[in-house]
Amino acid sequence: MANQAELLSFDVATLGEKIRTREISPVEVTDAYLERIDEFRERLLAYITVNREDARTAARNAEAELMAGDWRGPFHGVPIALKDLCYTRGVLTTGGSKILADFVPDFDCTVWARLREAGAVLLGKLNLHEFASGATNTNPHWGTCRNPYNLERIPGGSSGGSGAAIASRTAAATIGTDTGGSIRIPAAFCGCVGMKPTWSRVSRYGVLPLADSLDHTGPITRTVRDAALMLQVIAGHDPHDSTSSTEPVPDYAANLNGDLTGVRIGIIAELLTGLSDEVALSFNAALRELRILGAAVEEVKIANIGTCSTIATNIMFAEAAEYHEQWMRTRAHEYGHDVRRMLEAGMITPAVYYVRAQRSRAAILAETLKALERFTVLVAPTAAIPAPRIDVGGRALLDSGAPVDMVASVLRFTAPFNVTGQPSLALPTGLSPNGLPLSMQIIGKPFDEATVFKVADAYERARGSIPEPKL
Amino acid sequence: MARLNGPTVKALALELFDYKFSDDDAASVAHIVGAMANYSRRLHAIGLAGLQPPFGYATMRAEAARIRRNS
Repeated sequence: MANQAELLSFDVATLGEKIRTREISPVEVTDAYLERIDEFRERLLAYITVNREDARTAARNAEAELMAGDWRGPFHGVPIALKDLCYTRGVLTTGGSKILADFVPDFDCTVWARLREAGAVLLGKLNLHEFASGATNTNPHWGTCRNPYNLERIPGGSSGGSGAAIASRTAAATIGTDTGGSIRIPAAFCGCVGMKPTWSRVSRYGVLPLADSLDHTGPITRTVRDAALMLQVIAGHDPHDSTSSTEPVPDYAANLNGDLTGVRIGIIAELLTGLSDEVALSFNAALRELRILGAAVEEVKIANIGTCSTIATNIMFAEAAEYHEQWMRTRAHEYGHDVRRMLEAGMITPAVYYVRAQRSRAAILAETLKALERFTVLVAPTAAIPAPRIDVGGRALLDSGAPVDMVASVLRFTAPFNVTGQPSLALPTGLSPNGLPLSMQIIGKPFDEATVFKVADAYERARGSIPEPKL
Repeated sequence: MARLNGPTVKALALELFDYKFSDDDAASVAHIVGAMANYSRRLHAIGLAGLQPPFGYATMRAEAARIRRNS
């Protein structure tokens, strides 16, 4: 029998295979994760709800199925966790809020239904920025999640619990959501892989919205291959979600062969400004690695990408305000200050500017697709800085003590691909001199997640492993 | 062009949403939305003539079909 450290060391691809061959039992690996969660729960605050008894039951059922020769796939018996925006029947789903502090859904979101059908074991529900409405993951109701690489730093948000759970080995894989960067920012700050797929690639049914036309659901995992395996399970049309795409779902792991022959990579020139020294150094090292792997790498301009923060903010504020209007009339005092302020601004955002922002999206997508006529994928840093500090008031601070401009330092890099709906995957490029993860994102054509995975996987193999946090 | 200010925000919120702002909160929101408005006015510069918003009729039909299935 493997010890706890060994059980927790396996990525999903390895774990799933060892479960399939009965080298490892789903029961022992679930127990290992539950012990790990208990060990770090109060220090990290990555979990809002731990689904202890149901997880053990599910693990036993998975084991019984395997013993009967019934294997459901790579996620059979694998312990995962979900951002607490995802409806789970019979399990508390808070949205990270006080308003939904006692809410228990009576149906599963499609993403969880598909993972459950694939045999995954639900460890629990993960902490987030309240109602997904911010990028720091400070949360006045459920506690501020901490970055496993440095407990005085933010994990990033809004899927901070998801990123922290992967980095701390308290889940084998997780689900997050991304409206302006909320999968990729915690992936960047916590040293994980985060895939924001194409808009409409993954059903949003049963996932609490922030802004419907910008929301995406996707995996946060240890490796690119794990993200590909997870997207394979959750992608595809859902009759419950009228916006979900009927585009065929390819085999995302089929071309993860490390070969970048013929691949042309475009570096988005406008996203090379304002980088901290460590981000710039690490990003440039990653570009060198991509060249060594055989890719042609050069800069490309996307002239109006700088307008995307304005476009995304207009849309996000207005759509979020509409969704929350009923609660804001009578329960505004129950929101965190920053979320309430965003919703109030959304109430006053003119419809004219909302529609103009929506019309602008096609123009930006046209520019990125024009760039992708010459390139296979685009790349950029995921953020201008590594994970900032948290102060006692919950503000993100630079090392100098100055408050972080989250738009200039973070949203500017991630929001463009919510605006265009293209797939964008964030993965680590290394650690800063003071031990904080650094990240780049790889952006593909709509519905071409397979190529994004291929390029990311090749780089990840060449880069080698990133040191784990010293918890 | 009139600038968005706290009293205007207070009046709009009360009239449109029956929502009451404090003076300080209204001033803060006025600042946020005023800045957004400044940037939003400039979006025309990226060339929006003739561009459709992404509000497809297919989604409306699919939603109506979903409502009918569930009713």
